[in-house]
Amino acid sequence: MSGVVDRRGQRDRRSPPAVVAHCACERGVRELLAGLEEEGVPVRLTDGDPGSAATAVELAHAAARESPLDVGVGIDAEGRVCVHHAKRPADRPVVTTDTARARWCGHNAARLVVGLPLKDAPERMEEPWPHH
Amino acid sequence: MRRRSSWTSGSGWPTPVEAVTLLAGVDIGNSTTEACLAELGPDGPRYLGGALAPTSGVKGTAENVPGVVKVVQEALSAAGRGPHELSAVLVNEATPVISGLAMETITETVITESTMIGHNPDTPAGAGLGTGTTVAFAELGACTPGEQVICVVGAGVDFEDAAAGIAAARDRGVEVTGAIACADDANLIVNRLPAPIPVVDEVTLVEKVPLGMPAAVEVAEPGRTVRTLSNSYGIATLFDLDPDQTRLVAPVARALVGNRSAVVVRTPSGDIADRRIPAGTLTLIGEHARLSVGIDAGAEEIMATLRRVAPLADATGEAGSHVGGMLATVRDAMAETLSDTAGEQEVRIQDVLAVDTFVPQRVTGALAGEFALENAVALAAMVRTSRAPMEVLAEQLRSALGVAVLVGGVEADMAVLGALTTPGTERPLAVLDLGGGSTDAALATGDGEVRSVHLAGAGDLVTKLIDSELGLDNREVAEDIKKNPLAKAESFFHVRMEDGTARFFDEPLPSEAFARVVVLGEEGMRPVPTRHSLEKVRQVRRSAKHKVFVVNALRALERVAPGGNLREIGFVVVLGGSALDFEIPDMIAEAVAGAGIVCGTGNVRGREGPRNAVATGLVDDHAGRAR
Repeated sequence: MSGVVDRRGQRDRRSPPAVVAHCACERGVRELLAGLEEEGVPVRLTDGDPGSAATAVELAHAAARESPLDVGVGIDAEGRVCVHHAKRPADRPVVTTDTARARWCGHNAARLVVGLPLKDAPERMEEPWPHH
Repeated sequence: MRRRSSWTSGSGWPTPVEAVTLLAGVDIGNSTTEACLAELGPDGPRYLGGALAPTSGVKGTAENVPGVVKVVQEALSAAGRGPHELSAVLVNEATPVISGLAMETITETVITESTMIGHNPDTPAGAGLGTGTTVAFAELGACTPGEQVICVVGAGVDFEDAAAGIAAARDRGVEVTGAIACADDANLIVNRLPAPIPVVDEVTLVEKVPLGMPAAVEVAEPGRTVRTLSNSYGIATLFDLDPDQTRLVAPVARALVGNRSAVVVRTPSGDIADRRIPAGTLTLIGEHARLSVGIDAGAEEIMATLRRVAPLADATGEAGSHVGGMLATVRDAMAETLSDTAGEQEVRIQDVLAVDTFVPQRVTGALAGEFALENAVALAAMVRTSRAPMEVLAEQLRSALGVAVLVGGVEADMAVLGALTTPGTERPLAVLDLGGGSTDAALATGDGEVRSVHLAGAGDLVTKLIDSELGLDNREVAEDIKKNPLAKAESFFHVRMEDGTARFFDEPLPSEAFARVVVLGEEGMRPVPTRHSLEKVRQVRRSAKHKVFVVNALRALERVAPGGNLREIGFVVVLGGSALDFEIPDMIAEAVAGAGIVCGTGNVRGREGPRNAVATGLVDDHAGRAR
């Protein structure tokens, strides 16, 4: 059985399957995580470096490349939110929006993993977005 | 229905000269105009090529001129010839055909009091069955310990507050056995409860859920469907119903079959009716008999009545019904087309085709935008006239092209002649022309006699059935589904075709297409806006084609076959736009295989496929006369 490499010892060091989120600000994070949780997909939250000038698209693409599931989310300091897939070109994310729709981003990041069509954007849903 | 070719022309035939003459045969069809360019020499015609363009205006009217000019010029430039070289244009006797389609829904599920929620949210939570009285989330604190309740969480309640409120009520001894939520929150709420309860979410009209009423919430395990609420006796057991009441809830149970989650709320005045709508009657007038049939009797009964009155002389629909309106519209459109000609003709419906179908209709009074599949009958009708205003068309064409224009040749005869240029065919030969508005057939027996028939219902009806059965409300998408195989986008870089093969793309697919059913059309990929599975869309597409084309092919061949016996037909050549379809010719070949007929898609002149038959037939016929 030469050539077979036993990687069992490395298992602990590997990250468990999860969507990775790089967030440079607090806004929208709770809603983002709620969207992923509702769809039943695990997520690993890392602090992007706060105050970094990286855009949401850059953060999301870096997160997607770190994610064992190839899906990442980025929230930049200005409150832009982006969902990205590691196999897509860096400048062509799946969705980009702002933190008002962080929940929707969470749902869609999860749906990329489980293979469900993306949810309709909130304003196109029949239910009017609650105004509180 | 015996017809001989007859040629009429104001200018007479050009005398055959020893030099070759350049001729263009032009077939004006319902949707496309085709041209065939040929050089006529002493050894017969030498074909130089063809062209096709959309027909301008209604077939057989002067509006066709721009379309004809376009194809003739295209055919000439493709062959590298100039317009001055052309000696004559041959046009078939195109008789206007106008077809109409209508749909009548014959059942309806009406819930006058909100009594059920039967939608399929992507993520309901918990599993099992909860029963109790419906209570608004804000009133949960007022419930007494021991009470069995279903909590209704309205819009704007945060999932953490909802979970905390339900947990607190349970701590006090209130038995919260299930919940109904407005937002997409079910798992978020259940994950925060000490013990899971079934929660149905995404109920958009949650404020309409009647409060203080006995209710049941059921969520099935992933991969399963509800068992109790989709069973009439299950509902009867839960709510202690008598036989009469059980009869009333049976439509609710039926509407919930196949759902992963469901809610039934028992309201005292709940009145669920599964009733048949009076859909009007259709009166079929034959040459010897006149019979009326209710549209709600279904397609089979309508077609049986049609056979009893055959041959059909005319048909009328009850005023005020969709069918009555459609038949009147078709008649009016034809009358208008003919109005510019001197001849006052009576416009009569020549054929109808009824097809059973179903339409997803919003359940009146339901709480989450539920749809119920209702039975419907689709009806196609067509009128055709024997005389067409061809002289006007020929005159205008003559001045537009500056060459002699010869009108002549019965369309069916020309189609047969063109079809006979398909390699491997001989008389007796039947052509089956599958068009957009009508399905036509013609049979040429060994002695040159041609019998033809024109039936209502063709490609447009298939599109309509696909559109309505899938609830698309988008003709363009339905047309795409009809014409192309389906696929499912499985990743950003590959799709799985309906036959299981994978296809990869270099460019990432748009995110709207992800995990969706898509059609791969000529203009690229288009996502199908539906939640139906690929299998379901495929089944609807194939059954629509079967219900229209296979039924009509058999109907048409039986009408032209000697004694109605298909075995007397040797060869069937399938022509027309729908013969280019990727599965219709195979379906027809399969259906007639039992009669020992050679059936296949035509290949006019061995190279044009099922196109250009009439145009080629015109040239062929003319060449035969010239020699």
